[in-house]
Amino acid sequence: MSLSELLSTSFVQHAFYAVSAVALAAGAVGYFVVLRRQAFAAHAIGHVGFAGAAGAVLLGLSPIIGLLVFCLGAGLLIGFGGATLDDRDAVVGVTLTAALGLGVLFISLYSGYANATYSILFGQILGVTWADVGLVTALSAAVLLVISWTYRPLLYVSVDAQSAASRGLSTRWMSLLFMSLLAVTTVVAIQIVGVLLVFSLLVAPAAAAEVLTSRPLRAMFLAMGIALASAWIGLFLGVWLGGPVSFWITALASLAYLSARLGDNTRTRRVRRVVA
Amino acid sequence: MSEVKSLQMTGGAVSLGGHTIWRDATFTIEPGSITAVLGPNGAGKSTLLKMILGLVPLSEGSLEVLGESPHRGNRRVGYMAQTREADSVSTMTGRDYVGLGFDGPRFGWGRDKSKRDVVRQALNLTGTTTFADRPLHSLSGGQRQRIALAHTTVFRPELLLLDEPLAALDLAAQSEIVDLINLIRDTTGAAVIVVAHDLNPLSPIVDQVLWIARHQVRSGSVEQVVNEKALSDLYGHPIEIVVTPRGRRVIVGLEEEFAHPHPHGHDHSHEEGHEHFAEVYEEETR
Repeated sequence: MSLSELLSTSFVQHAFYAVSAVALAAGAVGYFVVLRRQAFAAHAIGHVGFAGAAGAVLLGLSPIIGLLVFCLGAGLLIGFGGATLDDRDAVVGVTLTAALGLGVLFISLYSGYANATYSILFGQILGVTWADVGLVTALSAAVLLVISWTYRPLLYVSVDAQSAASRGLSTRWMSLLFMSLLAVTTVVAIQIVGVLLVFSLLVAPAAAAEVLTSRPLRAMFLAMGIALASAWIGLFLGVWLGGPVSFWITALASLAYLSARLGDNTRTRRVRRVVA
Repeated sequence: MSEVKSLQMTGGAVSLGGHTIWRDATFTIEPGSITAVLGPNGAGKSTLLKMILGLVPLSEGSLEVLGESPHRGNRRVGYMAQTREADSVSTMTGRDYVGLGFDGPRFGWGRDKSKRDVVRQALNLTGTTTFADRPLHSLSGGQRQRIALAHTTVFRPELLLLDEPLAALDLAAQSEIVDLINLIRDTTGAAVIVVAHDLNPLSPIVDQVLWIARHQVRSGSVEQVVNEKALSDLYGHPIEIVVTPRGRRVIVGLEEEFAHPHPHGHDHSHEEGHEHFAEVYEEETR
């Protein structure tokens, strides 16, 4: 099959739509993950999702149901238990370990586990159906809609919780809201890149964007753009050259972060030289 | 108009976790005045600010803030925290941070067209325009405090609460910030409450002092509160005040309280006013 024929097959088309929706939501939510220094929580929610998906598979349900239940549960637990910064790491760590243990148990109980495990852990972008595309797009659109509505207060509590609280914003409710957004985004991102590589869409593009600009709105759109570019080019390379699509997406997003940091370093050095 | 006090506390008390932090506080704060709040660590200075913001309830007495009872999200009160996580880590620009002070609490899609001008005015007033477009983490301590003051005044509050705005600044930066606080008061007409651990840098602009220690709140002019008799009374042991040739007050007899912020020792005489001391004190009197 030629490249153009490959690109017009239905599974590549499905993947294209799904990956676009996910990249936009993950880029936007990821900006706040980086801003709030909550990468560890994002990491944990992904791993909790692993237990949920494994449990759903064991019960003969669609993995996405297990993912939604477990990720939302973990998000709310972290949001409730760890609203104060001091003990957030401990809450996240314990949630993470408990869920991973459960996941291992579910997987060992399920006889045909190798395939299911693999796709949960590393994504199955080329296996998504039209139904998956619909669900993923709807969830991503909902996440983006909520972010656009709550953008300013979310930004405020993320950079200066005390001032935000003094102006009447509830840091606890905002934290719960954000963890729910993060949970839903993690669920859809897992469909594409899997539990282990969820960071590639959620953290790397936003981290790169934060290095490249000091303007919040610009940084959020830039994060969405980098995530989208990584996803599109990654999908294309996966189809064209072979190799897992999630590998390509991860590689590109990491590369974006690396080049942002390198570019930033040379720029600061140049500025310093001018000043000196 | 001028009948309404910026703040009126009558017999106010506050307790946290069942322990009284301070009680019998009665004082008023006039519009356009500057009040310094002094006292040892843990005496309940920041707690007073939280009460005014409606975040901590009174356990006794009454408090009126600008003629209303204190309530969360009061648009007429501005609060500047002692440490702000945005300062050290944020790549956000000062201008954006000041903008958040204006419309950060607002949900929704609409944009307020006046924002750009209002932010520009706040930057002008605080003298921060030249570095407003640099990321916060790249600014000096004094520059960050100026930006933070712009952030706190951008929505034109009538009462400003500043928690330790001079902490961790060198002397030159301290006097710049004191001048700026004075300027903000003069331009906006807001009443200002400044929590501080040293009266000296503030004394040129201060109209009133609140001294919180040993569960009590003393209020009055600098002369009425910061004198040897009043402070010795308050602390229950002799306090000496030495005035240097340049008019700076050195208060002798309080050092222990600042030197031992964690009162887990056995000698209680140094620990009056600490929240922890409240526990020990109440156990002994039970």
